[in-house]
Amino acid sequence: MTFFDVVTRSLGRRRLRTSLTLLGIAVGIAAVVALIGLSHGLVSSWTSGMKSRGTDIVVANMRGSLTPKPFPASTRDRIAHLPGVSATCMILVDLMSIENAELMIVSGREWGCFAWDNLKLVSGRMPNDQNERTVVLGTAAADILKKKVGDTVQIETEELAVVGIVNGGAFVENGSLVLSLPLLQQIMGNQNQISAIDVRVTPGTDIQRLCAEINRLVPEAHADPAGEHIAGSEGYRVINAMSWGTSLLAVLVGVLGVTNTMLMSVFERKQEIAILLALGWRQNRIVRMILWESALLGFFGGIIGVLLGIIGVQLLKHAPALRGMLEPDLRANLVLEAVAIAVFVGVLSGLYPAWRSSRVAPSLALHG
Amino acid sequence: MKKKASSSDYLYEAAGLKKEFDDGQVQALRGVDFKIADGEFVAIVGPSGSGKTTLLQMLGALDRPSAGTLQYRGQSLLDLPDPAAYRAHEIGFVFQAFHLLPTFTAVENVEIPMFENHKTPVERKTRAVELLKSVGLEQRVNHFPAKLSGGERQRVAIARSLANSPSVLLADEPTGNLDSESAKHVLDLLTSLHRDRHMTLILVTHDMNIARRAARALQMVDGHIVFDGDPEKLSMHPIV
Repeated sequence: MTFFDVVTRSLGRRRLRTSLTLLGIAVGIAAVVALIGLSHGLVSSWTSGMKSRGTDIVVANMRGSLTPKPFPASTRDRIAHLPGVSATCMILVDLMSIENAELMIVSGREWGCFAWDNLKLVSGRMPNDQNERTVVLGTAAADILKKKVGDTVQIETEELAVVGIVNGGAFVENGSLVLSLPLLQQIMGNQNQISAIDVRVTPGTDIQRLCAEINRLVPEAHADPAGEHIAGSEGYRVINAMSWGTSLLAVLVGVLGVTNTMLMSVFERKQEIAILLALGWRQNRIVRMILWESALLGFFGGIIGVLLGIIGVQLLKHAPALRGMLEPDLRANLVLEAVAIAVFVGVLSGLYPAWRSSRVAPSLALHG
Repeated sequence: MKKKASSSDYLYEAAGLKKEFDDGQVQALRGVDFKIADGEFVAIVGPSGSGKTTLLQMLGALDRPSAGTLQYRGQSLLDLPDPAAYRAHEIGFVFQAFHLLPTFTAVENVEIPMFENHKTPVERKTRAVELLKSVGLEQRVNHFPAKLSGGERQRVAIARSLANSPSVLLADEPTGNLDSESAKHVLDLLTSLHRDRHMTLILVTHDMNIARRAARALQMVDGHIVFDGDPEKLSMHPIV
């Protein structure tokens, strides 16, 4: 028998209480995994969308929201000639309620620019020209809207013909409705307004330096390497902070649960602890036993929480408000972080009970 | 401590030993003096509340006296640098209620005191099985306490008390929860351990017949030792 056996045997003694405590931690950790996974997913989904389009730099005004604020299309003329800029593409993008779908990404793209190149036809055709009143749907968008080639889709007051279903090579691209820039500007009443300029750079260009140069020339927007414009936005920071805040609140409930369980356990086992002391165990071994018990509760609670979190995000990503908009990002380091938080929670929760266990008088062994 | 040359001829020496509880409202020991030699079999007898269990706590370094001195092999038990080491290596406890841990098998219970002894798990188990064999429980090694009779549980507890080869066995009413037949077996076992292993056996009891098995009796009343001598003469002191 090892010391670890002693620890696990103690936890197994009160199975129902141990299970409920594990569940308490697991719910907190599941919240961490689900909310942070979704929050990270927002960045990674948009970043992969940018990569799929071959965008190196995004010039946009993201301050205070997740969708960029419009600015004049003429801004492009100030940056297109800069050394290192190989191509630009003006984009107007917004989140809209489309028919029965609560939120969909609608992307108007400058006709003929590189942002159309990644769209591979799955069925139908691309629009014939920028004036044709048609739209192509990403595969996920078509699925959500239950549309096929030949159907029509209502965007604001305009009814557009679906002429093609496309695979954009990224989750966000496949969840989008794509049409020509002038058409979307007309529908939204944003004539000559765009919300982003996608920039491709020539190989070997110093992207950070080019961003700095663009920022100097275009004070009304902000240039960032693709993907960073989301992570650096105020809206994303608010979402991220809220995700962590909500998660940590849930984790705090877990802390109280473990503390309560371990404290009850120490009170119930006072005489047992006294017997162990009488048999020669040192107080620090008793303290270690209690801390290991609570750390193990945290560890197993963390594992269960991660599994619940993964199941949770799978359910959440199909929620009407999120469907097709972002792919949860459950990378390994988030899972490891969540388990590490759970173990930390376990140890933290065990500190006071462990201290109480160290106060048990060995003379109790001879009582009763 | 066990191997060290003793600066005293006695194992235990107590002088003016006092123990008070509740700010002096309860006086469990009121200035007790005694000496116990290595290898003695001493019975501590007395009625409930006479202070015999408190005295056992002092001898086992489970509690500290309020006043007086108590030495073990010439070293003060009040100034022990590591009381846990003293309890682990010098003392074996046998309790009235056995105090086996219910979620551990007999052999695992016997292994418990050896955790502070730098033995590997295999060494601990081998030693525990040997000890269980020595108390006649080789068929009960993997039984949980709930599946053992009272006598068997106490024998497991005795095997546990021997785990670290202590010099002293401190037994608190070891037959108090047993039927007469089991009690006799347990007493025979303790007596043979004292005799064969030359261990000091200090046994608390209120049973005169058990006390008479000892070579010496300390009779306690109201925190005082009122008799110290041949247990056969205890009948002249009917306070027990």
